[in-house]
Amino acid sequence: MDFHLSEDQQALVDAVQAILRDHADLPQAERLSYAWHDPALQALLAENGFLDAARSMGPLEAALVAFETARSLRSIEAMGSGLVAPMALPDRMVEGPVALAAERDLGRAIRNLTVARTLLVDCGEDSIVLPVDPGAVEQVASILGYPYGRFARAPDPASGQRIAGGGALLRQWWRTGIATEIAGAARAAIDFTIDHVTQRQVFGRAVGSFQAVQHRLVQRHGHARSTCYLAMRAAWSARAGDADIAVCHALLGIQPLLFDLHQFNGGMGVTTEHSLHFWTYRIRALQAEAGGLAGAALDIADRRWPAVEGANG
Amino acid sequence: MEFAWTDDQIDFRRRVRQALDELLPGDWDEAYVSESYASDKQVDFSRHFCAALAERGLLTPHWPKEYGGADCPDWYHFILGEEMKAAGEPRGSQYMNVNWIGPTLLKYGTEEQKARHVAGIAGGTVIWCQGFSEPDAGTDLAALRTRAERDGDHYVVNGSKIWTSYARRADWCFLLVRTGPGRKDVSILLVPMDTPGISVTSFPGLIKDGHLNEVFFTDVRVPVANRLGEEGQAWGIVTHALAFERVGVPRYHTGLDALDRAVEQLRAEGRWDGDPIVRHRAGLLVARFEAARMLTYLVVDQRVRGEPPNSDANLSRIVALEAVGDMMNFLADYLPDCLAGGDRLLEDYYRINIPAGITGGTNEIQLDLVARGGLGLPRG
Repeated sequence: MDFHLSEDQQALVDAVQAILRDHADLPQAERLSYAWHDPALQALLAENGFLDAARSMGPLEAALVAFETARSLRSIEAMGSGLVAPMALPDRMVEGPVALAAERDLGRAIRNLTVARTLLVDCGEDSIVLPVDPGAVEQVASILGYPYGRFARAPDPASGQRIAGGGALLRQWWRTGIATEIAGAARAAIDFTIDHVTQRQVFGRAVGSFQAVQHRLVQRHGHARSTCYLAMRAAWSARAGDADIAVCHALLGIQPLLFDLHQFNGGMGVTTEHSLHFWTYRIRALQAEAGGLAGAALDIADRRWPAVEGANG
Repeated sequence: MEFAWTDDQIDFRRRVRQALDELLPGDWDEAYVSESYASDKQVDFSRHFCAALAERGLLTPHWPKEYGGADCPDWYHFILGEEMKAAGEPRGSQYMNVNWIGPTLLKYGTEEQKARHVAGIAGGTVIWCQGFSEPDAGTDLAALRTRAERDGDHYVVNGSKIWTSYARRADWCFLLVRTGPGRKDVSILLVPMDTPGISVTSFPGLIKDGHLNEVFFTDVRVPVANRLGEEGQAWGIVTHALAFERVGVPRYHTGLDALDRAVEQLRAEGRWDGDPIVRHRAGLLVARFEAARMLTYLVVDQRVRGEPPNSDANLSRIVALEAVGDMMNFLADYLPDCLAGGDRLLEDYYRINIPAGITGGTNEIQLDLVARGGLGLPRG
């Protein structure tokens, strides 16, 4: 049991952070956006091997990269191409960026679809690898913090490559990825809020000096910090049960997290010039994916207490 | 970063479980655990049990060899604590001895004090109680009024302590006393509980027998040689001691055990497999307890590395308490009869956790400490 990063892991995180620091600000034209995907930054991370960490170093290292990129104001697709695809499809390479969707949602707006070259589809038992034709995708306007797109015509799942029995593995890594991204975005949003409540004065004192604010921020911090370690454990162990637990814990804290952070940022928190939404609405976007809270919680229960043959009730 | 136990740690856990199998009586759950670990019956049993654990090298493995330990990293102590809690804490009050009283004596005690006390703790034969809270000084410990006035080579103690678990059966008290007029003029005395002038009164409450006592000190004479540390140094020592105490109880372990038992009961009553709502609630609880586990392990890892205590210990307690509260709510929603004679072990879990947000420093104090020490938020 070792909660400290190894030298290699620390070097990886330092290198990602250095690149992200160089790309910390948004271009002037994007400062009031709901989301901004930076294709140049995406390419830079890919070209330098950071999105290959799962194959070159391991899934925990890929999760560390996804955690760091989730803290960025810029939307980077690291979860699908850096963590989920290599772990759910260990024997094949797919072109990134990678979007993720459940089969029943193929007709809906899909996160990252406008920038994706591959779509991984959760079909329950199986999974499907679908190449994405950018010409077949329409951009969708959304307040959620990712680029969203919709197929002009829902694709035929038969046109993709079906992975028999691949659904569970895809969901496992999707859940690990969601927990990781939520942990990273929550960390950034909490840091941003701490800075705000330390500077902002009300009634002659800092907002963050009021106990009512402090205690709730600590509780949100506890949620984010524990989610981070649960996500890293899920990536390290590669166990589906750990992924279910990580995503379940991540999701059950979303409502108080988003309410409190926007509350503490006051009126500024509902403006797009204040940046908070880049993280909080990314978290909101992840809420229903891969079965959502109910799906994860039921999977945890069914795994810990398997159904007994002949049980009633 | 990695999350595996070493082979040695796995083997150590196996040894602990084997010892529990061999040392606990067949009717342990029914006849002892359901009585609460502060009951006379369990306290008596703990003297025999802890002595047997000590003989096997399993009571204080994390202590230095010269004081009866095995120089094991704190992980071993923590594995021991997980297994003991899962078994209903057969160490009784002695979990405090090995968690923080012994380590505090080792760090701050004189050679004479170590010689007098450490062997008894490491041998599992002595019962201690903690004399901190008073009727007008709980969370605000600096308000304590129990006075110790110097009279030659003795202190004369007058005052009272309250909520003193195990006081009726304790051999010694780790006592906080006021030795000067300032708020922080507080010292620690190690007091034999059979000293003339000490009396103990128990009173009923929501938690189980043995926990709610008031201890009265009337002209109690305590040798100056029994003072731990210098006069007025109690805060530094207590802060050190509580840093151990705050991660001393693996609440996720007892919580998950209670949840398993609750599910077993719900299933037996036909109220589990067909009800997605109850399964959903139980799944959330597992996630909450596992979150508490992660933060607890984080703090143990920091301790093993020799890092100074920080607010992560407080944070781990806050997260654990949220999980415990949800678990108690789950029991009240789905198995209310466990509080009405339906299941004594679940009732015990519920009742022992009623004061979980108060003991060892209230949850609000923990939140304050993380707000300032962890998040750097400004003072009001």
